[in-house]
Amino acid sequence: MVSRNTRDVLLLLGPCLIYLFAFSVFPLLYSLRLSFTDLGIAKDSGHWVGFDNYVAVFNDPFFWNAARTTAVMVGSAVVLQVVLGVGLALFFNQRLRGSWLVRGALILPMLLTPIVVGVMWRAMLNPDWGIVNWAIGRLGLPPINWLGSTDWAIRTLVIADTWQWTPFVFLVVYARLQALPEHVFEAVQVDGAGRWATFRYITLPLLAPAIAFAAIFRAIDAFRSFDLVYGLTYGGPARTTTTLSFLTYQTGFDFQQYGYSAAIAYVMVVVLIVLSTVTLRFVRLRGQEGA
Amino acid sequence: MTGSENDHRALGDKVAQLKTETGIDLTISAPALNALIPKTGQELAASQSAFELVNYLGFLTTGYLSNGSFEQLNKYKDDPAETPPDWDFSDFATANLNNVGIFDPTTKTLGKGTNLYGIPGLHSGSVVYFYRKDLFDAAGLQPAKTWDDFKAAAKALNKPGQVAGCSFIGANDFSLATVSWYTTFLTTGGVLLTGSPATKDFKPNLNSPEAVGALQMLIDLLPYAPTNVTSYGFPENVDAFSSGKIAQMVFWSTIAGPVYNPATSKVATMTGVTPVPAAPGQTSQAILGGWGVGIPANADPTKKAAAWRALTWMTSKSFNNYEELQYQIDPSRNSTYNDPTLIAKLPYLPISGAANAGAHTIETSILADFFGMNASMNVEFNKALIGAQDAKTACANVQTLWEASLRKAGVLV
Repeated sequence: MVSRNTRDVLLLLGPCLIYLFAFSVFPLLYSLRLSFTDLGIAKDSGHWVGFDNYVAVFNDPFFWNAARTTAVMVGSAVVLQVVLGVGLALFFNQRLRGSWLVRGALILPMLLTPIVVGVMWRAMLNPDWGIVNWAIGRLGLPPINWLGSTDWAIRTLVIADTWQWTPFVFLVVYARLQALPEHVFEAVQVDGAGRWATFRYITLPLLAPAIAFAAIFRAIDAFRSFDLVYGLTYGGPARTTTTLSFLTYQTGFDFQQYGYSAAIAYVMVVVLIVLSTVTLRFVRLRGQEGA
Repeated sequence: MTGSENDHRALGDKVAQLKTETGIDLTISAPALNALIPKTGQELAASQSAFELVNYLGFLTTGYLSNGSFEQLNKYKDDPAETPPDWDFSDFATANLNNVGIFDPTTKTLGKGTNLYGIPGLHSGSVVYFYRKDLFDAAGLQPAKTWDDFKAAAKALNKPGQVAGCSFIGANDFSLATVSWYTTFLTTGGVLLTGSPATKDFKPNLNSPEAVGALQMLIDLLPYAPTNVTSYGFPENVDAFSSGKIAQMVFWSTIAGPVYNPATSKVATMTGVTPVPAAPGQTSQAILGGWGVGIPANADPTKKAAAWRALTWMTSKSFNNYEELQYQIDPSRNSTYNDPTLIAKLPYLPISGAANAGAHTIETSILADFFGMNASMNVEFNKALIGAQDAKTACANVQTLWEASLRKAGVLV
């Protein structure tokens, strides 16, 4: 017989469990099953193909191209965002007059959805009438084919992502900075430490957990980056901005190879789990060393 | 559910009239193409479609009809109680009917037999050649009849910073392959695929001289095209042409129709249209575009009769004419292409009508991987246009990718 306590717990948790199962667990298991089938648009598709899709993924040059693009994008964007975000946090931590206004404005990009950011940047970077090339022209510089050249397209993606998400890193680091114990800095000042030494040996180690959190969070988010690519470059030109998420979407929904697309998605999931676990372990170890 | 190629605007304009005349409440959903295709697939695969009418791309007809996804319409069409007497079925362009409506389920062949699954609409169309009459007259040139003429005119009319000698779809875009390249390929004697799926020898000819030549021509035209043509899709070309910055282009008639709209185009009275150029000895023709509209087989059975009534209403002559007049999107009825009142305002209509009637259904449209194959072609061709590889390499790459796709589909051994 179920105790009253257990019944109450089940009653309270029940709706959440049902929701979780319906919208997380079931789709996850269903898509896992899909990844072992050849489901496509054809009516006679959907047969069990074992690991064929996974073998095909690892032999697919477009998958490796997308993996490389994703790595370049994630690496560049996260490094840039961490450097800028930490820099901005340190700058605004100086309690300059009127800085609250700038701080407020700084987080605005983060409030936009990435698809809007993509479309907005696409318009601003239009090679013929976009405001960015217009401004560059006013400076006497030649126009840049931001989205139409293989050299620039990936940089443009990184720039747009950095514009939108640097404020996130800034917010996290700034919040941590505000919470740092003042007596530590007062003691260091009494000891006569310079600004660089204070930053290098006190501020940075104390900020490390916040920076690591922001970097990991951003890395995972950038790894899944889809809407920005969709709105800004649609994976082009010449697949130079086709990230893994976009490849998954394109394979599934443009080309309607649902089974194969699910396999790519699961490879992504595994890579993400491994990367985030390793990174979190590394950060924890470093934290213990620091302690 | 329809595509967002202005059909939804025309429907939106007329939805109250539909309600008054038929008592039918129509709710319109018009996702962009990239969202429409998967959405359509999901609706057709569901136990019951949320839509009673679905507008589908002609390129996907075989896929949908092979699946049995759409209701056979003969029983409605042949029933005078269900079909308005002035809804003239014989007025639909045969090419469009064969492209989106007539299908033999036994052999899975489009345009064969009498089984009707979709009605051409809400718009159709092919590719025509737009040129600036004033610029050609001033230079003493005739509109191009051959591709050599086209290139010579591009060179002669190109004035950097003012007018580009020509333009085309140069971006990594669906129409780079299907319009810019395929039209040239087809009119220089190219044959995209030989053999047949049935005999499992459905082989692409992407490494043929015509294939490489068609891409090389686009590369050769780059110096006379807008600086950023490699990122030009539909809007960039139509906007640039409408603002007087392009001397000639080969384009979907229905997409570029607004260059004739004086409210949005500076060159509405200066634009001429002819059939697309062709190599000497070849016939002018291009890929056939267009849409079909049908009743999903899994639609609510109690609403299917009303769906048919609404379908006949929105594919009627008067609605076809309204769409053309208001939005310059090409009709699927012969009478609209030849309507004197419309022609007086939109003189390109007879040329578009002839192009539509003689247009060619792309061979890959019968394959489930149509969009995947088209995408790989666009990527490789775009890569050649931005200088990352030459035409021969691009075509060879597409040949390899296509052969793999065809083998995977089991139509090439």
